[in-house]
Amino acid sequence: MASTSKLKKRAIDAVYLVIGALIVIFFISPLLWTFSMSLKTIPELFSQKILLWPAIPQWGNYLTVLQNTMILQYMKNSVVIVSISIVLVLLISIPASFALSRYRFRAKRPFLFLILVFQMLSPVVIVIPLYRLFMSLGIYNELWSLIVVYSASSAPFTVWYLKGYFDTIPHGLDEAARIDGASPLRTLLSVHIPIAVPGIASTAILLAVQTWSHFVFPSILLDDKKLLPISVGLLELQSSSEAITVHYLAASSIIAVLPVLLCFIVFQKFIVSALTQGAIKE
Amino acid sequence: MRKALSRNSFTVNPTPWLLPLALVCLLVFVYPIFQIVRLSFTESTLIETSNAFSIKSYASLFRSPDFVSMLAITMIFVGASVVFQVSLGFAVAMFIDSGSDRGLKGTMIVRTAVLAAWALPGVVTGVVWKMMFSEMDSGPLTALVRLLDPDFRPQFLSSPAPALVASIVANIWRGTAYSMILIYAGLKTFPRELHEAAIIDRANALQRLFKVTIPVLAPLLLICVLLVTVQTFNTFDLLRAMTGGGPGKSTEVIALGIYRTIFNDFELGKGAATAMILLTINVAMTWVYFRYIAGTEE
Repeated sequence: MASTSKLKKRAIDAVYLVIGALIVIFFISPLLWTFSMSLKTIPELFSQKILLWPAIPQWGNYLTVLQNTMILQYMKNSVVIVSISIVLVLLISIPASFALSRYRFRAKRPFLFLILVFQMLSPVVIVIPLYRLFMSLGIYNELWSLIVVYSASSAPFTVWYLKGYFDTIPHGLDEAARIDGASPLRTLLSVHIPIAVPGIASTAILLAVQTWSHFVFPSILLDDKKLLPISVGLLELQSSSEAITVHYLAASSIIAVLPVLLCFIVFQKFIVSALTQGAIKE
Repeated sequence: MRKALSRNSFTVNPTPWLLPLALVCLLVFVYPIFQIVRLSFTESTLIETSNAFSIKSYASLFRSPDFVSMLAITMIFVGASVVFQVSLGFAVAMFIDSGSDRGLKGTMIVRTAVLAAWALPGVVTGVVWKMMFSEMDSGPLTALVRLLDPDFRPQFLSSPAPALVASIVANIWRGTAYSMILIYAGLKTFPRELHEAAIIDRANALQRLFKVTIPVLAPLLLICVLLVTVQTFNTFDLLRAMTGGGPGKSTEVIALGIYRTIFNDFELGKGAATAMILLTINVAMTWVYFRYIAGTEE
């Protein structure tokens, strides 16, 4: 009796294993295939039969990409744009979320609604007027003006998420700080921010992953190839290398996602918590 | 007064706290929205701006057969993506949840694999899936289908209907993680007693799913469907890299349509009118979502 139930458990576990493996294969194989492509020779790319893995992995393909394209420059631009925009968005969003959590004012609900609209807005809708505005102000094709746009596009999520986070901090703590004579700013700096550090970190990491992939804004608001972030740079490579071969494009894709994947694997917990809290909390 | 003070620690003016945010939003969101509304009522082109009021952009938009087919393509793309992303996300979340209940190791690997697909930039996803759907002999999906049918001649991306299906597959691959994560969070806080009660009542697995799990998770599922729908309506970079809207305009969803109208055809007024359609969809969905979460908050 005991052995049959054990057998049954084993059988069910095996079913789980098979299903799990199928899910993993579906989600991982496109990336593995890209990786395999990036290590192939040209004849291998065009072989008559499918070749899962190259005979001799051509690591030199990566060297060629790094040397002959602007990919390192694109990566550097992405790092600059993403990191500065995250600092900026935290600077403007933390005080705002604090006020939305702690102050009472009449326009609060419409304000929160408007911010939510901005979060749901397609970048394609606003980028054309922005392009015209930037042209007329003479700030088109500038990294700093693009960084402001990145920060703005990250602000709605950050504000909603951090407001939710501040809401969970007991009001008694503010009260205590106030009795000690602390100003609101002091209270934010020495009470709220220290408590909210995990939330702020989660936001920053999620924003890093998301803004790394921003595409519409940089592709319209930049012109100079030297300024492009990797998302747009990759498409640039795709259109210029189409006539040649795809193994360099595959290698470039792998290089482009390496920082995101690393960041994602190391900080997965933070990303998951920011994603769920951001959507479910009011 | 006392009561107000204790509930809201500070009663001074909140303006300075909100000002930087408000200024940035004014520049990047409010002004552009105002402009897009204005431009949609003109006959402007990208080269020449007109200020004269006109509804010609809307008239030519609504009369063009391209517009109708673009809306249809968008609806198919969004509908199929949402249905499959949410149900696949649900299935994977249930799988991970019950797998970790059984003490199986490796459920983390499944979660990581699904999430990794989501973390990739849309452009990369597009490039990667274009390679997956390669119609050459060495294309992986071509080879896979040829295992069953050796004479198969692939038209994954060169023929309209298959290209739309391929786009949807790529988008499901990318977006499933989002639903999975939301639903998994819901499952983790799911009241165990409910399941146990259902088991005592001899409900089978299917009954438990439809009579217990789904009704309890319904509010969360609704939020999930709303958010995924908005995101999918805004899809741009994935398709731009994967199909470019083609072949022809067979995978041209609304965001790609706006882009093409303005930057390839230079028809700013008409593009702005199309953008107004997407803007309306965005605002309407936000309104539903906002009302809904505000309702559950009380």
